[in-house]
Amino acid sequence: MSDEPTSQPDERMDGRVDTDGVARQRPVYTESQVIMTTVKAVIPFVMTYGLFITFHGADTPGGGFQGGAIIASVVLMIAFAFGIESTRAWLANSTVVGLGTAGVFLFGAIGFGPILLGENFLEYTAYYPVFGDLLGLKEYEFVKYGMEAVEIVGIAFIVSGILMGLFFALAAGDSHSEPNEADLREGELRDGVDSATFGGESDD
Amino acid sequence: MIETARISLVVIFAVVGLFFTFVSATGVIRLPDVFARAHTASQADTLGAGFGLAAVALTLGWEPATVKTVLLLLFIFVTNPTAAHAIARAAYEEGIEPWTTGDERR
Repeated sequence: MSDEPTSQPDERMDGRVDTDGVARQRPVYTESQVIMTTVKAVIPFVMTYGLFITFHGADTPGGGFQGGAIIASVVLMIAFAFGIESTRAWLANSTVVGLGTAGVFLFGAIGFGPILLGENFLEYTAYYPVFGDLLGLKEYEFVKYGMEAVEIVGIAFIVSGILMGLFFALAAGDSHSEPNEADLREGELRDGVDSATFGGESDD
Repeated sequence: MIETARISLVVIFAVVGLFFTFVSATGVIRLPDVFARAHTASQADTLGAGFGLAAVALTLGWEPATVKTVLLLLFIFVTNPTAAHAIARAAYEEGIEPWTTGDERR
């Protein structure tokens, strides 16, 4: 056992019990020294590389999609090295969902701001009369940094959150592969995703 | 003289990298089970990518991009065998029996 993202064994077993009270069939993952050591060594570089890619993108190769995917791959590597269930217990479900939701809201806020200022959707130069003196930027530079803002706080958040969520949903296994009627109804779909697909306890 | 040596090294590295990548691709298609395939995909492919990136670094000469290429080479040498190790481990934990002579391909 490692002292990284793990929790008490009893809690882990609780987290592995499904909503219908049946423990999952898979055995508890035993860690590999090789994989853990490599992941520990590589994670800082991968995180730096992901941020590097994210912060490029307005006028250089890179961008929020690729950077967000690389940042999400950090969580995937942690899960492969230290066990998926303990990573699920370490990284709260609300964090993963909140990352994607915050990205959508921030993207929308940046996009709709120019409409409030009397210009078109995503027309970043509308911010110039408001923030131009404060930030000390020229008007044309607002196009570049507006795009960067959307890439960084919008797309990168959404992509990394959704990829982590999809990974945890896939890792939850096929114990819920046959959707019952409650899951198919739209009103209860969210509850089904929260408790069953992402697996384990719901934090909210 | 130095320039000739550099160009010859680039050509040699590129050809050797191509050879190992070809061996790796052949192995992934033709070998019988998941352990053998993970084996060729990690070892031969790491060498192929390593020689290819070494050829790229030599072609670029002293540039910032060369540093990135060498870093990429190092990370491929670290992560590629680890990924194959993880795949083989996961396959073993799932209960897949290693292939022995006379078995079916799978």
